[in-house]
Amino acid sequence: MNVTLNWLKNYIDFDFSAHDLADRLTMLGIEVESVKELGAALQGVVVGKVNSIRPHPNADKLVLCQVDIGGQDALQIVCGAPNVCEGMFAPVATIGAELPSGITIKQAKLRGEESHGMLCSEKELGISDDAAGLMELSSDISVGTPLAEALGLEDTVFELEITPNRPDCLSMIGVAREIRAETGNELKLPEVNIHENDTDITEATSVTIDAPDLCPRYAARVIRGVKIGESPAWLKQRLESVGIGIINNIVDATNFVLMEYGQPLHAFDYHKLGENRIVVRRAAEGEQITTLDEEERKLTPDMLVIADANKPVALAGVMGGYDSEITETTSDVLLESANFQPASIRATAKKLGMHTEASYRFERGADPEAVIPALDRATQLIVELAGGTVCEGTIDVYPGKSELLKIQLRPDRVNFILGTSLEAAEIEQILYRLGFGIETSQSEDSSYQVTVPTFRGDITREIDLIEEIARVHGYDNIPTTLPKGDIPVPVPDISVEVRKRIKQFLLGSGMMEAVNYSFNHPNCFDKVRLAADNPLRDALRLRNPLSPEMSILRTTLLPSLLDNAQHNHNHQINNIALFEMSSVFMRGEEPGRVAGILAGEIGGGVYGNPYKNPDFFDIKGIVERLLEVCCITDYAFQKTEEPTFHPGRNAAVSFGNTLIGIFGEAHPEVLENYELPYKAYLFELDLEALADAADFSKRFEPIPIYPSVQRDLAIVVDFGMQSDTPIEIIYATGGDLVKSVRLFDVYVGDQVSEGKKSLAYTITYHSATETLTDKAVNDLHDKVVNRLGKELGAELRM
Amino acid sequence: MKKELEAIQAAALEALKDVKTADVLESLRIEYFGRRGKLTDVMKGMGQLSKEERPLIGKLANEVRASLTEAFEETKNALESKQQEQQLNTEAVDITLPGRKPAYGKAHPVMQTLERIDAIFTQMGFQVVTGPEVETEHYNFDALNTPSDHPARDLHDTFYLTDGNLLRTHTSPVQIRAMENQKPPLRIIVPGKAYRVDYDVSHTPMFHQVEGLLVDRHVTFSELKGVLVSFARQMFGDQTQMRFRPHFFPFTEPSAEADISCTVCRGKGCRSCGHTGWIEILGAGAVDPEVFRAVNYDPEEVTGFAFGMGVERIANLQFRIPDIRTFYENDLRFLQQF
Repeated sequence: MNVTLNWLKNYIDFDFSAHDLADRLTMLGIEVESVKELGAALQGVVVGKVNSIRPHPNADKLVLCQVDIGGQDALQIVCGAPNVCEGMFAPVATIGAELPSGITIKQAKLRGEESHGMLCSEKELGISDDAAGLMELSSDISVGTPLAEALGLEDTVFELEITPNRPDCLSMIGVAREIRAETGNELKLPEVNIHENDTDITEATSVTIDAPDLCPRYAARVIRGVKIGESPAWLKQRLESVGIGIINNIVDATNFVLMEYGQPLHAFDYHKLGENRIVVRRAAEGEQITTLDEEERKLTPDMLVIADANKPVALAGVMGGYDSEITETTSDVLLESANFQPASIRATAKKLGMHTEASYRFERGADPEAVIPALDRATQLIVELAGGTVCEGTIDVYPGKSELLKIQLRPDRVNFILGTSLEAAEIEQILYRLGFGIETSQSEDSSYQVTVPTFRGDITREIDLIEEIARVHGYDNIPTTLPKGDIPVPVPDISVEVRKRIKQFLLGSGMMEAVNYSFNHPNCFDKVRLAADNPLRDALRLRNPLSPEMSILRTTLLPSLLDNAQHNHNHQINNIALFEMSSVFMRGEEPGRVAGILAGEIGGGVYGNPYKNPDFFDIKGIVERLLEVCCITDYAFQKTEEPTFHPGRNAAVSFGNTLIGIFGEAHPEVLENYELPYKAYLFELDLEALADAADFSKRFEPIPIYPSVQRDLAIVVDFGMQSDTPIEIIYATGGDLVKSVRLFDVYVGDQVSEGKKSLAYTITYHSATETLTDKAVNDLHDKVVNRLGKELGAELRM
Repeated sequence: MKKELEAIQAAALEALKDVKTADVLESLRIEYFGRRGKLTDVMKGMGQLSKEERPLIGKLANEVRASLTEAFEETKNALESKQQEQQLNTEAVDITLPGRKPAYGKAHPVMQTLERIDAIFTQMGFQVVTGPEVETEHYNFDALNTPSDHPARDLHDTFYLTDGNLLRTHTSPVQIRAMENQKPPLRIIVPGKAYRVDYDVSHTPMFHQVEGLLVDRHVTFSELKGVLVSFARQMFGDQTQMRFRPHFFPFTEPSAEADISCTVCRGKGCRSCGHTGWIEILGAGAVDPEVFRAVNYDPEEVTGFAFGMGVERIANLQFRIPDIRTFYENDLRFLQQF
């Protein structure tokens, strides 16, 4: 909402500068989002007096004027306006002024005569469309006065952010009340005098409220014999300064009072109301109304309407009806000032997508006690602006009148909550300035009975009063201390530690951390070729997604990482090594996942550290090391049929019977779906399962004191044999004496026969209790070789 | 014989001067010291000397031998160091060739910021807890004193799911879950994702928040200020000023927004802070009694405060990314920068 400095000053005295006021309002909780100087467009334009005129020697239509703008010498200005005359007061744009039309005034020679400025028309100043002649100014303004000041256009507009709990601040008087709290100065409310005619209003109209639950108060006045026309400049200027459109004198008057009191009003053309009367009721099924914006609205029975004897004539608290609006031919006006139930207005406005100045205020809660002052104020203005006479009396149906709320306030509680040491007098003064009534209660705890004014519907509890006291006292004046309470002992959470270690490891392995939206496109499951019955396809859907790309919640991180790979590839970045740790969304649970992708080129891409294409064993190595980082050893890898992956280059990771993830090379069709021209390697693991299996308890193991002995062993086996089959036999044969077995070479080629391969291992033998003799090692090694031969048909390769 | 010895010594020393390689040195050594070497031969003649002469010549011979041995040793050392020098020279590298950098990844900039925030609060005794991102109306709104007809709901443009649940619009529901699960005192922070229907240069539909909650028998608003000022100084530098403005949140009362002095102009006023000198960084307040009632805490028995901040916003105070949607493109040229 916008307010202006000058307008506010009509209701309260204060001498803050614009900047200071902005600061104080902000610190009261009314955040000033912008401060704009009006009249800035007229900078350099001043009031001048045409002292004398003589003909231009070289032009018939131009004259030379001597113009006094308050300086030492009068300026010579060349002018061609028809109405220029000696003694006239007119606006002068001085050298350097930039006019709203875009003209910059320069010293110039017009047909050989110097001109030191320009005498201006209203059009040239952007004030109106009148270009017929110079703008004539009143001669009682002193020459040299800036025009903006002379016309009262100089003002400062504050754009305020009013929080939803403070509808009372959606008006000039409301903001003035806040200034009262700050300064203690009293409000200056408009004085209203209405001269009524002899016709009793009850003869002219009636108001019936059929839905008192939705309309606590409805008041009306009737004004006869108005003349619809343009509003005077002061009114237009006020409304324009806060961004409200100009309509006609009646509507402008109601809008002015809306801004003044925060009370929305509506003027009906009295003669367009069926039977000239008002019925406040719920809409009937199937009823329609054409609102002021000429839209036809279908109504439902939960919507409150203002009706005449026959049909709805306004959407209560939201917008008036088109058929009963004020037009040029309107002579009699029924003026409405009412109060509506916030939730109902909110629901209607939301349902119809109509957000108006009126609905904005009613849905937050307007002051039922502002109904009559605003009605009378608008009536007075209408008569002033449009003539006419006011029927005697006011119709005021007020079924929702209630007692003023009283709240008990304990001063000790104020200080207890805030950590302050405010005196009773300070508390009392703050409450008084805010308009609260205060009585000291008779009870022992010296508490107050605080009466809440009707405009503060947001104050219902002691804590709300405490906030008011804090606000006006100033948050900055509340001490800054550290908590005194004990620090609760945290519950250790291994999953936090697991995540931390995994992240450290993955970063250390050269992968960059990605963070993706939790959303994805439903077609992502097809793109990664999930089987039709894969439960991951059962994703949660958004009812109101931003786009199809963001319409489901992801159940796997892999599509996002493939999207990232595609994005990077499309931008010629091909060293893709990314991981992400995030929840995924299953029905009823949000398990954590860690996933990664290697694609394109890894390595430095420089001399001595060339790029290399990642392969299956790079991703396998990452998964193995990741498990190691979690101190997990008893896992198994097994090939799967998951369609996302190359059927021969993938493995599931499991602990016992629990499947905890998968890794491998993306299936060529997946690569195609993501337009990747190179292979991509993926892994995705379940963080919860990793946390369950992780064991960070460590115990020292003695460092071997006896030397170990290494023996290399190359065997020729069937091509299809898995490389870990011999390893199992070596361990089984050597028992505790085999410390480690390392596969260091795999060979297929001329040196071995077709259908065979050679596997070469380094076996480390070691005993914890003695130095192994050569003989002992040789005997054991022979046993290993024999058993490999017997059980696997392995031949020793020489 | 004495003459002979002196001649050998002179000849050997002369010969050593010309030695250029270890091989030549070795043959020279053999020429003098070998079994048939010149010096050895002379020594063999010792037996024919008279009893008087023998000690004199013997002494002289030893002296010659020692001095030659030393000369040979020196020559050898000189040759060796020369050879080492030559080898080092040939081993010199072009130090401008690229180093073999071990691979090293970088954490996402939003996560880096989030982890810094976590670390500061953890060190003040706050425990990290998390909660679900798919929430119910109850936890996201109702229990936080925001019933369905409350205008404050307009501030949160909510993503709803077809199953009737919603994506949490803030991390605040975890306050409720934590209080339901624990008895006071509580001192927790809740880092996590939140969602709102918003997509422009300064809004992403998914964003990160860090929520904080402290509940105890007597927690004051002044302590809220203390904790947050301490946070701001650690996060943004010890010169950071902080101001608290009244604001409105349904689940805190009194409520505040907190600003820090602009990190660009240090409070003088510049474009970054809209010429106010201040930058809003978080919302906070004393826990509303209705929230305590929703979790069966007695608001007369306990008080508390809560705060919440947007991580992207704080991250961007440092990084100054013109379009924050860039955070979630995961462009490697972007991620490499942080």
